[in-house]
Amino acid sequence: MRLGIRVIGICVLCSVSAAVCTLSAVERTILIGPKTIGKAWKDNIVLEPRHFAHAHAGDIITVYNDNAKRTAQGAFQNPKTWQGIAPEYGYFGINGPFRMTLTEDILAIAREHGIAIGGHDYRILQVTLSEASDYHETTVWSGPSVMMKDDWSNNAEIPASCLKDLHVGDGLRLHISKVKPNAAAKLMDFTWNALDPSLDGVPVGGEAYTWYIYDNAPLLKLALAGTGGNVAMRIGGTGYRLDGIGIVQQVGEVSEDYSEAQRAPKEYVLQPGELFHGEKHFPADWSGNLKVTAAPFQECTGNDVLIISYRLAPAAKAAGTTPQLSLRNTRTWGELTGAPEPVWYPLDGTDIVYLFDSVALDEVKTRGLIVTGVGFTLTKIELISAQ
Amino acid sequence: MKHLFSRQSILLFVLLCSVCSCHAVEPVPTTEPVTYTLCNAQATAETQRLWAVLCSEYGKRALSGVVAKVDWNTREAENVYKWTGRYPALNVFDFINIHASRDVNKQGWLDYSDLTPVTDWYDAGGIVGCMWHWQVPANNGTNYTCSPGTEPGQTSFDPAAVSDPNSADYKRMIHDIDQVAGYLKKMQKRGIPVIWRPLHEAAGNATEFAGGKAWFWWGAKGAEVYKQLWRFMYDRLVNYHKLNNLIWVWNSQMNDPDWYPGADVVDVVGRDNYYALQYPLAKEYRQLQQEYPDKLITLAECGNGDEVDMSPWAKIWAEGSRWSWFMTWYDYNYNVGNSDEHRFAGEQWWKDAFSTGLVIDREQISKLLYK
Repeated sequence: MRLGIRVIGICVLCSVSAAVCTLSAVERTILIGPKTIGKAWKDNIVLEPRHFAHAHAGDIITVYNDNAKRTAQGAFQNPKTWQGIAPEYGYFGINGPFRMTLTEDILAIAREHGIAIGGHDYRILQVTLSEASDYHETTVWSGPSVMMKDDWSNNAEIPASCLKDLHVGDGLRLHISKVKPNAAAKLMDFTWNALDPSLDGVPVGGEAYTWYIYDNAPLLKLALAGTGGNVAMRIGGTGYRLDGIGIVQQVGEVSEDYSEAQRAPKEYVLQPGELFHGEKHFPADWSGNLKVTAAPFQECTGNDVLIISYRLAPAAKAAGTTPQLSLRNTRTWGELTGAPEPVWYPLDGTDIVYLFDSVALDEVKTRGLIVTGVGFTLTKIELISAQ
Repeated sequence: MKHLFSRQSILLFVLLCSVCSCHAVEPVPTTEPVTYTLCNAQATAETQRLWAVLCSEYGKRALSGVVAKVDWNTREAENVYKWTGRYPALNVFDFINIHASRDVNKQGWLDYSDLTPVTDWYDAGGIVGCMWHWQVPANNGTNYTCSPGTEPGQTSFDPAAVSDPNSADYKRMIHDIDQVAGYLKKMQKRGIPVIWRPLHEAAGNATEFAGGKAWFWWGAKGAEVYKQLWRFMYDRLVNYHKLNNLIWVWNSQMNDPDWYPGADVVDVVGRDNYYALQYPLAKEYRQLQQEYPDKLITLAECGNGDEVDMSPWAKIWAEGSRWSWFMTWYDYNYNVGNSDEHRFAGEQWWKDAFSTGLVIDREQISKLLYK
């Protein structure tokens, strides 16, 4: 009898667990890194459109990262225009993982072109997509609303009692309205200092901005204000109205199924003479290009040669695209040699060896060059020096 | 030109080239004996002495310089001292916040009328420079800005008002120039010559590509209006306020001779460059030297850019550049502790620069001036 009850009990537990697992949302990995986002906004990676085929407005992208410099910035961009996918995502400070909530407008772009993740000075480890129901929000402050004026002079004073249940791992969601272009928030402690440099003028837009807390430092600053009705936090900024605040907690599961995940191209450390080493795709829609600055060409002479290595893209050939490559100047994207028409090099799998004429040499030493083309994956560019 | 070869043949070709030909190093151009003269014949003795030193060192060594962060200080020079044990020769102050100076604004947060940062620097042997991000009221009526345009945060301030004495913008110009004149006059009374670089980068990228335009309001109405404004300022400061302690630096944006105010109102031609690699820098130096052979040529602003890091000074010099001085920019994030790396010119760059023997520091310029 006892055994029977135990068996039945286990079965009930299993079925309840299964029901919970089925009903609760799952955070699933859509990109596996690492992908280094280096200096000067030159690096990015595009999340493929397929990840968003069944996504919904309200779903959340999370970018887990490391190696972020204190001045690192992130961005979610439209791969078609390379502008911020929404104004508030054009650039923002990075302090731990960063997130974006999908809207219908963002989803429309994502399903057609994907979403580019860019910025500078950090490394992407993993990107996940989770559903809105993965997160539970508790409203802790509901006004009265505060209008943030153009001169940053207004702020909302948030009592310590509202923040007593805020913990590491939670998010503090600012519900906003009447948002103007270039709206920005400043989240401060009770001494008027920003809780973190990344919160000193963070761009905001849409209907909400969520600040996720990844370490104890800001919570300690909030705790210094004391308890109860003491002002623990000041929320200021410009160009928006603050209507309410909620604490957001993640309640969903994390999937360990990586079978559908996109993998970032393998990263290499450049060796002497290498100007590029990695995998840069040049798809059939002509969206692929690579800029090489003038820095590695500074001591280049007319005796030096450029060797460009690549792999042909089978899909491009199947689609009837003729793989070809061209080298351009960075000012007008005209032919590197100054010729009126661009020179196209048909690609058959053999490395391209480029000898500089005097015009091209002056151009690369002054401004660098652009590689453009279709139907291949660039794997390496080497400058072989006669010196 | 493109050819296809095997890797082996290419390597052979490269090897042969390296055997048969040497790297064609361009000879360092010698500076022709040119007499450089100050455009203000009434220049003070101290100004003439500084000018004489600048001219005597031109082509031999460059003066080192930094810009001060925007609140009337020498913190960037202190950074250089911390890194190298040597101060730069030149500290450039910016009048960007004159509207918030306590002598004209009781709510202000800095005081340009208190010359202490300037006199301390000068008394320690340093050269004083001043520039002016001339901010005027933005369209939103709240902020101040240099950026032209119709957006709330930009300004519709009209530089063409320089020829309309009845306009509000003209009166504002007079007001602001006179305020700055007050500070410069205090320096003159104290015997301090000033390397003066107003109305900089006027052409923006208007001459760089089709559709380019000025990014400061003083260039927004084109070259002719800009030149009028420059001469207006020159006249107001030199002839009206009797400021004879200024060495006038005009900034070229390259290929913009139409914007040059004229040899009679310019002492030095400067270039700002944040793609500061040795090869393009040398090309620009040579071009400016050819276009303005009777003027000193200077690297008025420089540093690492978004795309490239500035070349070491030894390489810049070896490529043939002979800038009279250089001025590196400050880094807000570094100064407030938000960044471990200086964005524009950090410890290693400065150590390397001083190690070349081609760069003059504060102690050296002091000896040259007062020997």
